[in-house]
Amino acid sequence: MVIRSLVSVVDDDESVRESLPDLLREFGFAVQAFSSAEEFLESDCVGQTRCLILDIAMPGMTGPELQQELTLRGQAIPIVFITAQGDETTRPRVLGQGAVECLFKPFSDTALLGALNSAFRVA
Amino acid sequence: MENEFIHLVDALPGLVWTAFADGTIDFLNRRWCEYTGVEVGDAYARGWQAAIHPEDLPWLIERWRSILASAQPGEMEARLRRFDGEYRWFLFRMSPMADASGQVVKWCGVNTDIQHRRQAEDDDTLKRSEARKAAILDSALDCIVTIDHEGRITEFNPAAERTFGYRRNEVLGRHLAGVIVPPSLRERHQRGLARYLTTGEAQVIGRRVEMTAMRADGSEFPVELAIARIALDGPPSFTGYLRDITARRRAEEKLRRSEACLAEAQKLSRTGSFGWSVSSDEHFWSDETFRIFEYDPSTKVTMQLLLDRALAQDIPLIRQAVALAAEGRDLDYECRFMMPSGALKHLHIVAHGQRNQNGRLEYIGAVQDVTARRLSEEALGRVRSELAHVARVTSLGALTASIAHEVNQPLSGIITNASTCLRMLAADPPNVDGARETARRTIRDGNRAADVITRLRALFAKKAATSESLDLNEAAREVIALSRSELQRGRVNLRTELADGLPAITGDRVQLQQVILNLLLNAADAMIGVDDRPRQLVIRTEREEGERVRLTVEDAGVGFDSQDTEKLFDAFYTTKAGGMGIGLSVSRSIIESHQGRLWAAPNEGSGAVFSFSIPRRPESLAAPHSLGGVSTPAARDAEHFMENL
Repeated sequence: MVIRSLVSVVDDDESVRESLPDLLREFGFAVQAFSSAEEFLESDCVGQTRCLILDIAMPGMTGPELQQELTLRGQAIPIVFITAQGDETTRPRVLGQGAVECLFKPFSDTALLGALNSAFRVA
Repeated sequence: MENEFIHLVDALPGLVWTAFADGTIDFLNRRWCEYTGVEVGDAYARGWQAAIHPEDLPWLIERWRSILASAQPGEMEARLRRFDGEYRWFLFRMSPMADASGQVVKWCGVNTDIQHRRQAEDDDTLKRSEARKAAILDSALDCIVTIDHEGRITEFNPAAERTFGYRRNEVLGRHLAGVIVPPSLRERHQRGLARYLTTGEAQVIGRRVEMTAMRADGSEFPVELAIARIALDGPPSFTGYLRDITARRRAEEKLRRSEACLAEAQKLSRTGSFGWSVSSDEHFWSDETFRIFEYDPSTKVTMQLLLDRALAQDIPLIRQAVALAAEGRDLDYECRFMMPSGALKHLHIVAHGQRNQNGRLEYIGAVQDVTARRLSEEALGRVRSELAHVARVTSLGALTASIAHEVNQPLSGIITNASTCLRMLAADPPNVDGARETARRTIRDGNRAADVITRLRALFAKKAATSESLDLNEAAREVIALSRSELQRGRVNLRTELADGLPAITGDRVQLQQVILNLLLNAADAMIGVDDRPRQLVIRTEREEGERVRLTVEDAGVGFDSQDTEKLFDAFYTTKAGGMGIGLSVSRSIIESHQGRLWAAPNEGSGAVFSFSIPRRPESLAAPHSLGGVSTPAARDAEHFMENL
């Protein structure tokens, strides 16, 4: 049996939480979706997640804050940020802080696949 | 016979004499000689003159000559010395004796004692003189006090009684020092009097001096004093003229305090005052005015002093003010002046002109150094405009970001779902159920995106105008007041020509004020680079035909090409480096929502004229649509937008 790598999606937007997991499964990953950073941290998926697709702006803990928390916990999970509000300064900022990629919504399936490939190369 | 005659004459109880035709005395009777004690032998020729009072002799001889010349009887009065040395007044009467041909050959004279009559006359003259003096003393407004050489009071007039509170009788004979000189000055007074009496050296005599005097109740008060020595024989005596100057001192002190106060206030408020007589071109500057302009107070003031300090660009402003002054108009202008030190001063000058009694135009004004205020205003203005720019950019950014966010979320879902759908259909075998599900979700996300747009439009449409009765002049005045500092900073010369009796209109005050503000600031902006002509801005209101009112803003700025007239009102069309290009488009949509018209035309000469005309009572105040709705600051829209989504 093939053990499929777990990709976790954290986004407060429901359309993303519904659509993205299906596409990721089509790519062949195992997927878990969470509506907030807090929900993800409380789950037992943190240790098994091989790649985190993380919304930047969320109510409560933001994407970058979750990234910081994971670093503090010693969880080196490759992160692909996604955002609907990014400007030209967002991408260099998050990449500078260690993210693998930053995608602006709406993004294409190929862009997503490219980001995931980078993430798994890092891992 | 001759002897008998002489005996007879000698026996007469009167003083009788005769003289030759030339006036030489040839006979004096015995009675005459006995009375005067002059020996008979000595009396003839000029000897008799020894008996005449020396003071009376010269004119007696004079008179005798004129009587001789007249050949008519005459008389005169003179004092004759009695044998015991006492002089008594005598009447000298004389008549000529003529011969047959009418030629005077001799004069006969009789001297009669008139001492009693003269005495009575002298007494009468003296009395009258005394009465006159008393009247002068009594009616004098000044205190008159006389003292003898020992300093004892010999006269004390009613004014002195009133002023010092003593009765004349109480003080006569008393030492002046003990009566009206305060204890602290008594010694000096006595020393001065003693010095004068011994050396004749006077410190106060013949001058007007101020000193302190004392009333009967011991209270002290300031007096002006003049002392004169009375010119009489015997020991010196003095008259003192005193005047109570308490009121004058008080007035002087009040004036001095008020002047000191004014000077201090001028210094503190950095406000100088000046006077200017237009026709004679005479100027008066207060000390502070000299300080403000940094001239020595001894400098002769002319208009040139002002021009010498004024900044070249502002000299026309001063000339304009001088021209206004010639018409008697009030002045109120602000000008920049360069001091010799190189410091720039902003001075606010106001003046009011009026005609003096001679009908000459005179200005009284104030000049205030407002440099500090102006500099801080400029700094504030710079900060404010930077802030406004930042706010505009960021609020618009926030608005577009929130729109982008709300639209991008469903778009993201649509694209992801569609991609998944394709992949499921491309699988072998195709995952039709999964594809159907993702296609359904695609539709749902599409609807969601459409909803966002609908809500966005609903939000903008919700900007309903409020309708109220308003005075366009008042609305314009409020805007002018708000933008005054902005206009001043741009050195814009604003003229308001607001029509009297403009009818009230119905409309949205805030929206109309936004339009006016927009037109004013555009006009000011258009004149920023203008230095070769006055930056004249005119705001005018007027009543129009058909129950409409019109507001016009004229500038002398860069103007625009007539072919661009309509483009001016397009959104995002701008000629300004920092402009957004939405002001005029929003303004037009506001005016149109009031069923009015906003248009532009080139100004005569240079610059532009923007006008709007609106009916007094629009039938219904339509909600502005499209961009026109974005009439409130974008930041607020973004907030509403977030709340509504």
